[in-house]
Amino acid sequence: MVMGLRRFTERIGEGAGEPILDADNGEELMHVQPGVAIVLGNRAPESVGTLYITTKQVVWLSDVEKERGYAVNFLSVSLHAVSRDPEAYPSPCIYTQIETEDDDDEDSEGSDSECNTLDLSKITEMRLVPSDPSQLDSLFNIFCECAELNPDPNEEIEEEHNWIFSADQMEDDNAATDGVDDSECLLSENPANPIGYSNGNHDLARTVLELQINDQRFEDAEEMDRDTNGGH
Amino acid sequence: MLFFSYFKDLVGREVTVELKNDLAIRGTLHSVDQYLNIKLENTRVVDQEKYPHLLSVRNCFIRGSVVRYVQLPPEGVDIELLHDATRREARDG
Repeated sequence: MVMGLRRFTERIGEGAGEPILDADNGEELMHVQPGVAIVLGNRAPESVGTLYITTKQVVWLSDVEKERGYAVNFLSVSLHAVSRDPEAYPSPCIYTQIETEDDDDEDSEGSDSECNTLDLSKITEMRLVPSDPSQLDSLFNIFCECAELNPDPNEEIEEEHNWIFSADQMEDDNAATDGVDDSECLLSENPANPIGYSNGNHDLARTVLELQINDQRFEDAEEMDRDTNGGH
Repeated sequence: MLFFSYFKDLVGREVTVELKNDLAIRGTLHSVDQYLNIKLENTRVVDQEKYPHLLSVRNCFIRGSVVRYVQLPPEGVDIELLHDATRREARDG
């Protein structure tokens, strides 16, 4: 999946048809809004077109030019809002921020208003201006719904955290992965992985835990004198 | 689910959300979901000179994955409670 805005030209039929969706992967059309102009970055508005909101992406297709269309996946939409402040933008619109592959060039909009070369991958702001402003709230809500349908794929994988908080837990978790006898675990320190250094394979928490062992060698002399009868 | 529960309790309070792209937005927490997507009301941008386009939007939806920090009102934070809950959550998974 490409991050950011991209060109979209796959339409059904010959005329200003609907976008071709990825139905095999469950993409469905959620909402169609005709009469919408699109504003990319600081460029002039491109009008008029039709907005297609699907379960996966936002697609805008020009009503005038059949080859002109843009799309952005919801995974790339960092935020969206209803903008009604005339100082921010003269027309009420849906304002969106788009996350791009390369976040270093925040200020460069990727296009020269003089010439036509447009680098969509650098567009970080997009406005959708409906000819009917009363539609803004419902558009905002649909955006919300669809954004919620598209959480980051990584977030769903985090089932096990594998964090260690006690020696007991260590014995359960590491017995299988380590291949080392538990009793050896506690007393030995792997010289390949010195204290405090995690090479990515070694569990840092385990190294730290190994330091906290109640080993008589580490006891203060006074305590041992007083505690000769105490058990450990 | 800890932070989801925690943020649900903060609904109605003023928070400032700082995004990974450095944008900071202040507003009233309207709602939050399990992915920590955040909806704010009465939002205004913290650094208006740098981000004039967002001067004042009434509602905004912020994708959970782009949030760097959520700055909380001090009176909305019970540190002891948060510590205990975090420890429990991490232990129990």
